[in-house]
Amino acid sequence: MAQETIEGINPTRMELLKLKDREKLAVKGHSLLKEKRDALIKEFFDILDRVKGSRGNAEKTLNEAFNDLTSAQIVMGDLAVQKAALSVKESVDVDIDSRSIMGVSVPLIDSKIDSKTLIDRGYSFADTSVLLDEAARKFEKSLSLILELGEIEKTIYLLAAEIESTKRRVNALEHIMIPRLQNTVKSIEMRLEEMERENFVRLKMIKSSMAEEDA
Amino acid sequence: MKSVAVIGDFDTVTGFQLGGLKEGRIVKTNQEAENALDELIENKISIIIITEKIAGNIREFIDKKIGSDLLPMIIEIPDKSGSSEMDSDPMGELIKRVIGVEMVK
Repeated sequence: MAQETIEGINPTRMELLKLKDREKLAVKGHSLLKEKRDALIKEFFDILDRVKGSRGNAEKTLNEAFNDLTSAQIVMGDLAVQKAALSVKESVDVDIDSRSIMGVSVPLIDSKIDSKTLIDRGYSFADTSVLLDEAARKFEKSLSLILELGEIEKTIYLLAAEIESTKRRVNALEHIMIPRLQNTVKSIEMRLEEMERENFVRLKMIKSSMAEEDA
Repeated sequence: MKSVAVIGDFDTVTGFQLGGLKEGRIVKTNQEAENALDELIENKISIIIITEKIAGNIREFIDKKIGSDLLPMIIEIPDKSGSSEMDSDPMGELIKRVIGVEMVK
């Protein structure tokens, strides 16, 4: 790799000390970020286990629900189904909280979708079919699955974004910042040594010329 | 406070109303969908369920509105015609990008 250094720094002892401090900080930051990245990835895998099948499951239930809904619409007619749907009581009660995984706040959904009995639903039985009951039950079930799925997927997206940015920072430190700082420190050290040698030679020359004058 | 809402076609909205989710918007055009989404966000609805088809049509609008915010949460679901077969698996791609290896599911 090219010996990149930080431009515009004077080769003085003061700057050398400052640079060494910066390097120390960068190395420390790098190891911390690396730990953060590893912890995030571990969390990510844990959640990945949960998402497996969760989507498929929710979609399957929803699909069944739509099938039942269609059957109900065939038997009762679109409008009657809509009428029944409008008279169903609101039953979804969600509580959204957030928790923090390594500084990333992710949602926690606490949904209370109580499975209702037929009477609780609120539509009349006189003009509805049993297929409608089935459809309503399945939609209730898929609703809770969907909310759970949403929570997991959102968590995954948020975690993924955080992992990516952490990774980028780790790499930037590891491959650019730290080598640059090291190279600059090295070049300043070499420059200082060179100046010392020059000075030494100068002193020697002065000494010898003074000795000559004395003689 | 109503905190869950659904945006979708007639059948989707009716179905979720049957399931006890009353806040539903039936949309037909992209413009309607964008307006509905705007309104729901304005009303501080925290979870918005939207059908994949509509979400796909107004993807840019959604990305602009939500970004990486925690809320509202958009959940995409398939509609009556079933899961739209996407050419790519977004979740799998995301995992590959993040971890760097393909996960066998």
